[in-house]
Amino acid sequence: MAKRITIVEDDPTIRANYADALKKHGYEVAAHADRKSASEALRTRLPDLALLDIGLGADLDGGYALCQELRALSPTLPIIFLTARDSDFDIVSGLRMGADDYLSKSVSLPHLLARVSALFRRADVMQQPDRSEDFLERGSLRIDMKRFAVTWQNRPVDLTLTEFWIVHALAKFPGHVKDREALMGDAHIVVDDSTITSHIKRLRKKFCAVDAKFDCIDTVYGMGYRWRAPA
Amino acid sequence: MTPRFSLGIRSKLVLVTLVLLVIPWVGYRYVRTMENMLRDNQVQTVVATARAVATALQDRPRLLELRTPAVPDPAAAAPRPVREEMQLLMTGLARAGSRIWLLDSKLHLVAVAGSIDNAPPQSPGTLAFGALERMVRAPLQLLFDRLHEHTPEATEEVIPNDTLFGGREIERALDGTPSWRLRPAADGRAAIVTAVHPVWVGDNVVGAVVVEETTQAVLSFGSRALEQLTAVTLIAFAVGALTLFFFASSLSSRLRRLRDEAENAIDSQGRVRGLVAGEKAHDEIGDLSRGFSTVLERLAQYNDYLEQMAGRLSHELRTPIAVVRSSLDNLRLQPLADEAKIYVERANEGVARLDTILTRMAEATRLEHLVRAGDHSERERFDAAAVLAGCVQGYSSVYPARRFELANADTEVILSGAPDLFAQMLDKLAANAADFSAGDTPVRIALVKNTHEAVLSFANRGPLLPDAMRERLFESMVSVRSGEQAREPHLGLGLYIVRLIAEFHGGRVAAANRDDGSGVEFTLHFPLAA
Repeated sequence: MAKRITIVEDDPTIRANYADALKKHGYEVAAHADRKSASEALRTRLPDLALLDIGLGADLDGGYALCQELRALSPTLPIIFLTARDSDFDIVSGLRMGADDYLSKSVSLPHLLARVSALFRRADVMQQPDRSEDFLERGSLRIDMKRFAVTWQNRPVDLTLTEFWIVHALAKFPGHVKDREALMGDAHIVVDDSTITSHIKRLRKKFCAVDAKFDCIDTVYGMGYRWRAPA
Repeated sequence: MTPRFSLGIRSKLVLVTLVLLVIPWVGYRYVRTMENMLRDNQVQTVVATARAVATALQDRPRLLELRTPAVPDPAAAAPRPVREEMQLLMTGLARAGSRIWLLDSKLHLVAVAGSIDNAPPQSPGTLAFGALERMVRAPLQLLFDRLHEHTPEATEEVIPNDTLFGGREIERALDGTPSWRLRPAADGRAAIVTAVHPVWVGDNVVGAVVVEETTQAVLSFGSRALEQLTAVTLIAFAVGALTLFFFASSLSSRLRRLRDEAENAIDSQGRVRGLVAGEKAHDEIGDLSRGFSTVLERLAQYNDYLEQMAGRLSHELRTPIAVVRSSLDNLRLQPLADEAKIYVERANEGVARLDTILTRMAEATRLEHLVRAGDHSERERFDAAAVLAGCVQGYSSVYPARRFELANADTEVILSGAPDLFAQMLDKLAANAADFSAGDTPVRIALVKNTHEAVLSFANRGPLLPDAMRERLFESMVSVRSGEQAREPHLGLGLYIVRLIAEFHGGRVAAANRDDGSGVEFTLHFPLAA
C-alpha cells in the first residue's frame, strides 16, 4: 500500500513540484495551501508523513500550530518542517516542536526524498518488536541505526534526522576529523559553513542537557569536527 | 571647527551683567546734582540767617552804637548786660558749623559767635544690607578718602578759618546791598559760604552781619551717598553675577551633556541610542533633546528597515529559487535528450550561484545581528594562537596551490569571544589572501602579543590596494576584485564579515599596502581577555 504524504505549502508551484516528485517515487500525496483546509483533512485521516511549511501566507506561524495539532493526534507521525527563513531553524529547535527534521527550502529534491524514505524506514522498524541488531556503541553513546535513536548514558537524546546523521558520521570513526563538506554529505544537506557550526552547537546543547559534562564533540579549527575517542 | 576665540554661554551672560556697572555712574551724576541742590539750599539758608540776624539787630541799634564812636577800649565802654545780651543773641542764631561775625560801619569787629570747624559728627547713614554692606563699605571708605585728597587746586586764596574774609561783599553790604559768595575752605575739600547782610537803622547802614558756613555737611552727605550707592551696586552686581554664573553653568552643562549624547548617539557599529539628557525638562533644552530623540528614532527606524531589507530580500528570493530548483530536480527525473541535459545543468549552476549569494547575504545578516546584539552569553575565553595554528594547518589542504607561513604563534593568546567566529574570520582573511597573492609566494601570517593587545597580520604579495578603496574595503558590498579574481560570485561581504567579527571581539581591522610596494597587509588589533 502506498504511503500517504501530506504537504502543506502556500506557494502553489513549490507545492506542485514537491507533490509531483513524491508521486513519481510512488507516494500518495495530499497537498494543502492553508492551515484550515489542512487541519480538516488531517482530522479525517492521518497521513503517514507530513511536510509543513512554517509560514502559510498571512499565517506566519501556521506550520507550528499544525505541527502541535498533529503531535496531539499522533506522537509518532514523522513531521518535516520546510522553511524559507534562516531564523526559523533556531525557533523550531528551541521550541522543541516535536518535528523530526527541519530543512531550508533550498534543499534539493533528492535530499528531501532521502529524508522521507529514511523516516518511513524508521516508522516501519518502530512497528516491529525490538531486535537489537544494528547498534553503534562508543562509550556512553549508543546509536540505534534502525530507529534513528541516540542514547547517552542510557538516557535518550532527542535529535532531528539531520542531527542524527551528523552524530553518526562523527562517532563512526572516533578521533577522525570530519570536515564540513563531509558532514554535509553524510547528513544529506547543502548548507553554508556557519549552519553546520550552529548544528554542532545545538547538538552539544542537546547532549549537555542530558549530561552537563558532555564534551565529546571537538572542534578542530580550520579542519572540521571529530568525536573524541573514549579515554 | 572651533574658532580661536570662543566665549561660552556662561562667559557671555556674566559679561552681560557688566551692564549693571552703569548704575554707579548714573548714581554719581544724581548725587552730584543733589549735592548742588543742597548747596544752593544751604546758600539760601545762610543768606536767610544773615538777613534774620541783621533784622534782629535793627531792633537793637544800641548794640551797635555801643562802639560807634572810636572808643579806645570797647570792653570798658560796653556795659556788661548789653554785651551778654548780644552774645546770647548771636549764640542763639549761630548753628553748628556756622559762624556769625558782626561788623560796624567802620569795619570794626563787634562780635563773633560759633565756629565753622565745629561741624556735626557724620552719622554712618542707614545700612540697606546690614552687616554685609558695612563690610563692603569699610574698604570703600578708605578708597573714597584717598580720592578726596586729590581735589582740584583752589582757584582763590585760602584764608584760615578764624580770619574774617574781607572781600568786596562787605563793602557792598555797607553800601546797602546784601550779597553772598563761595570760597574754598582751608582743608581744600569743602567750600565756605559767606553771606553778608547790612544792618539798617533808619536809612543808614550801621553795620554788617557776616554769616559763614562750611559745605562740609553737604559734601559728606554726598560722599556717604556715593559710598552707599557703590556698595549696594557692588553687592547687587556680585549677587547678580553669581546667580547668573550658576544659572549659566547649569545651562551650559545641560547643553554640553546634550551635545555629548548627541555626538555619541550613533556608535561605531551604527547603533542608534536615544537621548536621556534633559528629556524631562520643560524648557527649550528639553524641547531640543526631545527633537533630537525624535530624529534619532526615525533614523533608527530607517536603519532597522535597511538592515531587515537584506534579510527580507534573501527570504523573498528563497521561495522563487526553491521553485526553480524543485522544477529542475523534477525535470531531471524525466527522460531528457542529451542536449536538454546540458541546459538543465547550466540552469542548475545558475541556481547554485544564486543560492551562494543568498547564503552569503544571510551569513552576513546573521553576524550583523550577533555583533549588534553584543550577546555576551556566546562569549568565552579561548586561545587565539591555537585556533590560528589549527586553521593555518587546514588551509594547506583547502588551498593546495598556496603556501601559508605562520610566525610567532607558539605563545598563548587568550581573547574573549567566540572561537568559531574567530576561525570564520581567519577563513575569510585566508581566502582573500589566497585569491590575491601572486605566484607561489607564501602568505605570511603572524600573531604577536603585546602588553594590552594581540596583533594579527596577514601579508601577501600581489596587486596593491587602490588608495580610494582602502577605507571602504571593510564595508558591506564593497569589492576590488577585477575580472580575473571574480570567477565565483563575490558580493564584497568577506572583509565586511572580517570587520564584524573583529568588532565582536572588541578589535579593529586595517588594510595597507606593504612599505616596499610588493603587496598588501591586513592588520587586526584585539584586546586581550581580562
